[in-house]
Amino acid sequence: MKHLVKYLKGYTKECVLGPLFKLFEATLELFVPLVVAAMIDNGIDAGNKSYLVKAALILAALGAVGLIFSVTAQFFAAKASVGFVTRLRHALFAHVGKLSYSDLDRMGTSSLITRMTADCNTVQSGANLALRLLLRSPFVVFGAMVMAFTVDVPSAWTFAVVIPILSVVVFGIMLLSIPLYKKVQARLDRVLFTTRENISGARVIRAFGREEEEIKKFREENGALVAAQKFVGAISNLLNPLTYVLINAATLFLIYQGALRVDAGDLTQGQVVALYNYMGQILVELIKLASLIISITKALASAGRISSVLTTAPSMANGTLAFDANLCDDILVFDNVSLRYHAAGEDSLTGISFSVKRGETVGIIGGTGSGKSSLVNLIPRFYDATGGRILLFGEDIRRYDTESLREHIGVVPQKAVLFKGTLRDNMKWGNQNATDDEIAQAIETAQATKVVADKGGLDAAIEAGGRNFSGGQRQRLTIARALVKKPDILILDDSASALDFATDAALRRALREDTGDATVFIVSQRASSLLYADKIIVLDDGEAVAIGTHEELLHSCELYRDIYETQFAKGGATA
Amino acid sequence: MKKTSTLKKVLRFIGKYKLLVALSTLLALVSVALTLWVPILIGDALDGIVGKGEVRLDAIVSLLLKALVIVGITALVNWIMAGFNNRMAYHITRDLRNRAIETIERLPLSYLDRHQSGDIVSRVIADVDTFGEGLLLGFTQLFVGVATIVGTLIFMLTINWKIALVVFLLTPLSLFIARFIGSRTHKMFKAQATAKGEATSHIDEMIGNMKTVKAFSHEDEALEAFATINGRLQKFSLSAIFYSSLVNPTTRFVNSMIYAAVALSGALAVVGGAGTFTVGQLTCLLSYTNQYTKPFNEISGVITEFQNALACASRVFALLDEPRESEDAPDAVTLTEASGRFTLSNVAFSYSPEKPLIENLSLSVAPGERVAIVGPTGCGKTTVINLLMRFYDVNDGKIELDGVDIRKITRHSLRQNIGMVLQDTWLRAATVRDNIRMANPTASDDEVIAAAKAAHAHSFIKRLPQGYDTLLGEGGEGLSQGQKQLLCIARVMLTLPPILILDEATSSIDTRTEIRIQKAFGEMMQGRTTFIVAHRLSTIMNADTILVMRDGHVIEQGNHQTLLEKGGFYAELYHSQFAK
Repeated sequence: MKHLVKYLKGYTKECVLGPLFKLFEATLELFVPLVVAAMIDNGIDAGNKSYLVKAALILAALGAVGLIFSVTAQFFAAKASVGFVTRLRHALFAHVGKLSYSDLDRMGTSSLITRMTADCNTVQSGANLALRLLLRSPFVVFGAMVMAFTVDVPSAWTFAVVIPILSVVVFGIMLLSIPLYKKVQARLDRVLFTTRENISGARVIRAFGREEEEIKKFREENGALVAAQKFVGAISNLLNPLTYVLINAATLFLIYQGALRVDAGDLTQGQVVALYNYMGQILVELIKLASLIISITKALASAGRISSVLTTAPSMANGTLAFDANLCDDILVFDNVSLRYHAAGEDSLTGISFSVKRGETVGIIGGTGSGKSSLVNLIPRFYDATGGRILLFGEDIRRYDTESLREHIGVVPQKAVLFKGTLRDNMKWGNQNATDDEIAQAIETAQATKVVADKGGLDAAIEAGGRNFSGGQRQRLTIARALVKKPDILILDDSASALDFATDAALRRALREDTGDATVFIVSQRASSLLYADKIIVLDDGEAVAIGTHEELLHSCELYRDIYETQFAKGGATA
Repeated sequence: MKKTSTLKKVLRFIGKYKLLVALSTLLALVSVALTLWVPILIGDALDGIVGKGEVRLDAIVSLLLKALVIVGITALVNWIMAGFNNRMAYHITRDLRNRAIETIERLPLSYLDRHQSGDIVSRVIADVDTFGEGLLLGFTQLFVGVATIVGTLIFMLTINWKIALVVFLLTPLSLFIARFIGSRTHKMFKAQATAKGEATSHIDEMIGNMKTVKAFSHEDEALEAFATINGRLQKFSLSAIFYSSLVNPTTRFVNSMIYAAVALSGALAVVGGAGTFTVGQLTCLLSYTNQYTKPFNEISGVITEFQNALACASRVFALLDEPRESEDAPDAVTLTEASGRFTLSNVAFSYSPEKPLIENLSLSVAPGERVAIVGPTGCGKTTVINLLMRFYDVNDGKIELDGVDIRKITRHSLRQNIGMVLQDTWLRAATVRDNIRMANPTASDDEVIAAAKAAHAHSFIKRLPQGYDTLLGEGGEGLSQGQKQLLCIARVMLTLPPILILDEATSSIDTRTEIRIQKAFGEMMQGRTTFIVAHRLSTIMNADTILVMRDGHVIEQGNHQTLLEKGGFYAELYHSQFAK
């Protein structure tokens, strides 16, 4: 939490002036009962009409000045809270950009997005409210009490007694109901969950004819929700009646006591009215304070979540070495490399060793969860190996500046994402200075020329997530985007899965011909995609069970033969 | 949907709770009357306090005691009323949700397929919630507010009609100002919402795909673009928040002007009225003035809430009114044990009329035959399954099972005769045992284990932390794709119906599990009519009939040998995929 205060810097003036003006306004409000008392005691009793007019003008003036003060306060509060959260959002965005892949895995992108959107909004309205009201409400409550003391000390003791009792009631009920509301929320979540399950599983539920049972289950959960709602309602409904009774009992006592004191000549009628009015001000403010505290609690929870992101230091230290592709021809060496993801119980990769020469094509094959993506993710240093070492062009990969490293490595991730903008913008992600010719060439290699032409050329608009393109089209375009880089190392992480076999074959042919001496890594589930690789790494459960060419593996590696045969069928076509 | 019709539906829903509504209304009237009575008593008491030695203590005490009793009763009445209101609002939301789930279970799958599940869920959860809140607020504040305004006005008029008139004439001013500011800020809120939407979608896109962003070292550009949007958001937010927050101070200002006016005119009336108007009455009027203006502000808030609630209600009712799946035909037969003879004659089907999908499909499948459906992704293989299961009805032609049109068979019994294992392995958040027992909740533990063994799932289930009692997460979370599929197979194994529909998932399963699944499939298919969405050559080659689909059409039909000889699309597919 403390962490976030620094984003308020530069808004110190606003943060002080906002509450201050609010206090000015509250002070003015506290004078109102005094003026009314004076009207009764000095104006009415003496029959002094001009005094009454003057007093009424003072009341009006108090209102007018109060308006100016509170508008000023609102402005400062809005400016500070909006400015604060704008900075916070910027800081969050910048910080997330610095996080490593494993940090992102750990926090989860969807939760990061929630923090930048919903949580930031909650903090903004919480900060705005706090600046305006957090000081004001207690100030009015205690101010009213203090004013009561200035009016008449013995009577004011009623205030001193009733304020703590009221506070206990208001905050007690609040504290009592908050956990109950959480319970309601939990039951609502249950209902939500069942609803979602019934929609996502509609086919299966109907296939098994389970509709009636599902309705029954839903009704039970729904009933439990309503029971909880009614219970917490019964408790929080006590708030208004109880405070009403308390404040009125106090008022009645005040009048009774006042009557005695007026009778004794210690107090005037107007002063009793003033005390009565102060009592009225207290209740309104206490209720406001209670609801304010609920919003502030929510805002603090959001602030805590935001703060936990900002205080997470990026787990990967950057190197300084600039990337030089000409250093040596042994471009990549994995030396007994293992990888264990954060909080995972087991290694995802164990003891992987191999080396790759310039211009080679390396295939990686294996079942789901065998570690294929994990392996290629180590090459652009998306993750750091947790055991062994990786040498890139003869240097430990951790010594490189990651930005310069990644400029030379083209990655086509499994999930083919395009970004909102034009096709050209997207292609330029690889290289800001790429010419249209270079882009066209990359698109040609990626077998996407027709796709681009159909969509209306490089100026065609891409919607967020690239959803106006099909999966196969997106895959080809993401390949083109990586090719625009003219990378020294190209990584295709199962990037052709949505392509039909003919296009896949054409793509592989084009890649072989057009990428010059770039080293290519191809991750695939299809043995057919890797037939021509110089080297195929067969992964099983995180271990490299065999490395070799297709022919070699067919003879030496049982797992490879299994994969190959289930895909090609025993006795089917020959390789 | 039109507002009035939604309102009518809402009222019909509330109708069930007529008695509660009537009671709550009655209590509200009592509560308002009592609440307004208290200031009068206090005013009278204050009039008894004139000055030194001029205090009528007896009268004051009896007034105060009376007030105390009234305060107590008011509090009790308020509490009971609030309870009634809660009951009404919560029961209505409960009824709505129960209706909603019944609707969902009976909606045609076409609706569920076409609509995002998130949207339906938010109707059932968030919209019903907002509606309930609005309803509650309406019950508690709208009626009490109106009653308070009217009551206060009447009480004020009886005390002093001139001053009452001052209040009556000036109060609309604060409403007018609130409305004025509201309409002015509407545009700013819209601008803010647009900027917020822009920021959110940029965040969604860049943070959601941060890995790609980082792979291309695009962080700085993304941040730069965000800064621009963020700056715009700041500008619009500031103006929206500031201008809208003017409502409170300005209405308060107007109220304090009214207060001053009442104080002045009241005080003058006391001075010039020669005892017809007292200080106590003035105090009472002043406290009324405060009470009178408050409901106006609340009501304008409630009206916005209520409009919002109605908008939500119309979304909920739109779901409830969605046409449901046709009932089973009155003469529908209940199928007990089908032999598995399917005849499709001239079947035509499409999801939307402008895009014809399946046309003129005829096929006859003898009991125990295997039909493989082959074709590229998205070619409509699942459509055929949808038709066989009667998730969708054919547009033309007919599908017969054992010589009976499947539209003349009860859905329940038709589906009981078909076992389905789809690539989309849906499991529910429940124990492994309950998942397997889905088809037959009364199956014994032994039967469950036997089914799991038959599906080659027993060994991995045993190794789970709590074995068969292991609780699975949503969608079977915690299991690998292959394990999920084995469980789905076990689920079907438990009842083993005479007809099977299988989707051979290939890509996401590790080799060893894949071999096990193949075995389980093989055992299951023995002697059963099977439709299989096939990817493996061995499955395809062993099928009795191969349906080759492309772009939603069945373009070729025959067995492996005849199709190869034909040299069409299948042959091409076969050569490109399986041969070099």
